Amino acid sequence: MRLLHGMRVLLLAVLPGALAAQEHQMMGHGAHGEAGGWRMPPMDMTMPMVPGLENALPPVRPFLIGDGMDPAMFPAAEPSRRVVLANGDTLDMDVSVVRRTIGGRDYAMLGYGGQYPGPLIQADRGSRIMVRVTNRIQLPTTVHWHGIRLENRFDGVAGLTQDPIADGETFTYEIDVPDAGMFWYHPHIREDIQQDLGLYGNLLVMPAAPDYYGPSHREELLVLDDVLIDEQGLIPWGEEAPTHALMGRFGTVMLTNGVDDHRIEARAGEVVRFYLTNVANTRTFNVRFGNARVKLVASDIGKFERETWVESVVIAPAERYVVDVRFPEAGQVGITNTIQAVNHFRGTFYPHEDTLAVVSVNGPAVDDAVTQAFDELRENRDVAEDIEPFRALLGKPVDYELVTTVRVRDLPVPIVASMEADTFYVPPVEWNDGMPMMNWLSTGTQVTWILREPASGRENGDIQWRFRVGDVVKIRVFNDPESFHPMNHPIHIHGQRFLVTERDGIPNTNLVWKDTTILPVGSTMDLLVEMSNPGSWMVHCHIAEHLHAGMMFVFEVTEE
Amino acid sequence: MMGKMLLVLALLAGIARGSGDPSPGIPPATCALPDAVGPTEAFHVPLPESAAPVDAPAYYAFPVVSTRRLPGTGLAAGLGEVTFPDSPFGVTLAEDGSYVLDVWLSVERLMAPREGVYVGWLTTPNLDKVERIGALAGGGPLRGRAQWNKFLLVVTLEPADDPGAAMWTGPVVMRGMSRSGQMHTMAGHGAFEEENCAAYGYD
Repeated sequence: MRLLHGMRVLLLAVLPGALAAQEHQMMGHGAHGEAGGWRMPPMDMTMPMVPGLENALPPVRPFLIGDGMDPAMFPAAEPSRRVVLANGDTLDMDVSVVRRTIGGRDYAMLGYGGQYPGPLIQADRGSRIMVRVTNRIQLPTTVHWHGIRLENRFDGVAGLTQDPIADGETFTYEIDVPDAGMFWYHPHIREDIQQDLGLYGNLLVMPAAPDYYGPSHREELLVLDDVLIDEQGLIPWGEEAPTHALMGRFGTVMLTNGVDDHRIEARAGEVVRFYLTNVANTRTFNVRFGNARVKLVASDIGKFERETWVESVVIAPAERYVVDVRFPEAGQVGITNTIQAVNHFRGTFYPHEDTLAVVSVNGPAVDDAVTQAFDELRENRDVAEDIEPFRALLGKPVDYELVTTVRVRDLPVPIVASMEADTFYVPPVEWNDGMPMMNWLSTGTQVTWILREPASGRENGDIQWRFRVGDVVKIRVFNDPESFHPMNHPIHIHGQRFLVTERDGIPNTNLVWKDTTILPVGSTMDLLVEMSNPGSWMVHCHIAEHLHAGMMFVFEVTEE
Repeated sequence: MMGKMLLVLALLAGIARGSGDPSPGIPPATCALPDAVGPTEAFHVPLPESAAPVDAPAYYAFPVVSTRRLPGTGLAAGLGEVTFPDSPFGVTLAEDGSYVLDVWLSVERLMAPREGVYVGWLTTPNLDKVERIGALAGGGPLRGRAQWNKFLLVVTLEPADDPGAAMWTGPVVMRGMSRSGQMHTMAGHGAFEEENCAAYGYD
């Protein structure tokens, strides 16, 4: 079989409508198999089909890559490799179709540098690195360097900071990395498709001080994702606009570092530093490490003021956290996503757990200085000093306010009726897709997610904020629960860094610099943003489907 | 199942006796009733303003209403508010993934009893877990912590303030249900039967 290595192929397909309808995980839901290339996502069989939706389809065309082709025609993707770049170094990285194996089945997906996730790029804080990206797929793409306060023209936002990279074209990103921490990169055009298909990777910026973090025996990455698969394969995406516009596209298979059976080896007593990144379209994870003790060390852009013990790590799309975990004894430890899911039909919460990885802890036990140092919680004076100039501003009046809400049109009547009943209670965070059918049928053509500025009445792209470098701005964001279907939103601000100073009137007593933070339903949060980086920057919800349903705007930061 | 439901209703009404009593061996409490006021006034009582010292999300606030079981309590009105305890993640979760919530209770127009003390409690809907959150003096606020996805907030009239009490013994004077309690089965109503049952049954 011939490998199409290096070929510029996308092989996207608007799927033929002549496919025979097939029953698949749809028992009791009528003959709603394939229609026009669409297949309904798998759903809980205890939930009845909403009357009137038996034959409904999303009003967009289905979209897959490599449909009808043998995935074996594409080169096998390789696991992510670490690439250490010195100041001034350049990495060549292409975007291509790759073959990946998930659950024993091969799929045509996408990869950076032929890897899953993309290469782990490591650079020293304060350096400048170059990444030369060549697009070898038919979809136009870009690379956004999430969380990096880099020069605006390299921020990778299609239509704002650059033209999309067309098939066969190359764009070289010059990336200054002023902050230490774990960052990541992904497309900023149709993320709902491209990122979901595997276009994501991490950028680790090393601190100058060797003791920036406490001691650990080893480091591990946990890149968390999910992918929507049924018995026949990947559920198609919407071509003209995303499906799943209400809640985002939840996956059915959990992926950690691109695989569904990630395993880690450790010795008893070892302290393992985990760098967590959530690259999922919409899923917020609640990550537990069995009964092992977990120390929260850092988040998006560096360390917390103080290390703290936590029971679990709640990580929204695009957020990062760094935790140290000590595994005290030999055995198998599951790293799990432990949630209380919602069954809207039954009106119940129910416990649900996904295994994200398994740690095999073996003897003989380690008990050295690193093991013992784990018991100490460090006060990070360097962080406190960095924040000190802003401390007097933590209580300043709010400068700008935003409200999140949603507007819908032309949704099927049964969906509207069901949603109105459903909205008598919406949880602060949607941990699962409790209404997969209705969610799937909602598209970016029918749903508009909104960031609204009450003071001006402006919404999304009409909001006009202008700042000067050096401004420190307090922004209050309220997640309005009295909307058609409120939902949690991970709010991301490009090119700057911010502190979450308050949530629901409760001051934050342990600050950390962030670029993305979750806003639960009904909640209000205050962000203190340091406008340090000139340019045109985007604010948006990092649920990929919400972004493409309008939930974004651009603000300007000028030198003068 | 039906028996369990009846027991729950009986407990909420403060009328459980005999084998249905969840605390066998504890004699029924004897509490002096408040001075009587006209029960007919006990309708359309406005909710009190928030007394929680934080900006609790209004969406998750819920009314705590008089059970009108005791003379003199019909005009009482209360408010339950919830906030997340300070957390680096914006939300706080228990070991099983349930939300951990600070629950604030404030009450007004609840006449002081001639004897005994009003006590606030948090409990699961089926009463299998109960947490005493404190004696209610001067209308509150009281703060408790719930680690359940759905919960009830009740005020009972107890013969004495017993911080170690595991369960109430006196009658339920006021009660409220978390907003999450409004999420109940759609079977047989709601979007599936064109009947909006969620519009009634909560006050």
